[in-house]
Amino acid sequence: MSEKKQQVSRRQFLNYTLTGVGGFMAAGMLMPMVRMAVDPVLKESGHGGLTNVSLAVEDITTEPQRIDWKIDQVDGWYESEVSRSAWVFKDENDEIQAFSPICKHLGCVVSWEGNESYPNEFFCPCHNGRYYKSGENVPGTPPLAPLDVYEQEVRDGMLFLGDAVPREEA
Amino acid sequence: MKWKKNDIIQYMEAKDFIDSVLIPLVPFQVSDDNTLPSSTFQSEVIQILANEIEKELTGRVLLTPPLHYLKSTNKDTEVSRLNQWVQDVKQQPFEHVFFLTFDSGWKKVEKELDGTLLWLPGSKSGNLQSAEMRAVIKDQVDQLGELIRSYWV
Repeated sequence: MSEKKQQVSRRQFLNYTLTGVGGFMAAGMLMPMVRMAVDPVLKESGHGGLTNVSLAVEDITTEPQRIDWKIDQVDGWYESEVSRSAWVFKDENDEIQAFSPICKHLGCVVSWEGNESYPNEFFCPCHNGRYYKSGENVPGTPPLAPLDVYEQEVRDGMLFLGDAVPREEA
Repeated sequence: MKWKKNDIIQYMEAKDFIDSVLIPLVPFQVSDDNTLPSSTFQSEVIQILANEIEKELTGRVLLTPPLHYLKSTNKDTEVSRLNQWVQDVKQQPFEHVFFLTFDSGWKKVEKELDGTLLWLPGSKSGNLQSAEMRAVIKDQVDQLGELIRSYWV
């Protein structure tokens, strides 16, 4: 082999290879770090996440109050703001309860003490479905399951709610 | 229930419980530049109202696609067209039929309709995203829901 033909020396070849492999490894290590740094940008909004519903914990009383908030939801066709509602109160153990207002019968919106004849109960105006304050359905009325419960968390004295989850026991 | 496959399947399983139909009546006229902004605005509002009412009373109300008509046509023709819709609807076990509209033209022919006319005066312009507008619409939905419920008792 003549000196002219050998354009890449052994030393250069090794340098190039090591730089390439080293660079690759460095990139592999840095990627997760960068991802973590810009994490909120990558996070999918809406689904699964908890939303601040603008209700301070100290404003929650034992009397259920209806709160409304909006979340961004993306499905196959639309990106839209979806409104959600909940009945929020403190139960006798001083724990915050957040129930979905969607009737488990056919999906109307229930209201707290919506009928004068049934005080201290949630009432569905469509077919007179009733729920106790605990969210349990009153036997003998159309609904066959208790009201769904929102995933909740308290951060800095504010209430955050997520998705409504059906209860297991009927 | 909305006019969507999933809702309708649920409807078919629970026909006896869903005894009310809500038909929005929405005028449609492209020819007149002067009325275009207001009529499209009112069309948007009436559909929001209808959707919100449906949301509150899903389990007992079927919301149909709106009946569109030319604002300039004779209402008598439209009355018979609307009553044909109602006739068809009543093939199913529906007891209450409600029409929702901003068009006062229907008020005059109300007696000839096979159903209950819910006419309300609507604003002709505004910002649908504003907090005031939302509050107004929410209020109207509450009151319309109350009115519809009063027919059920």
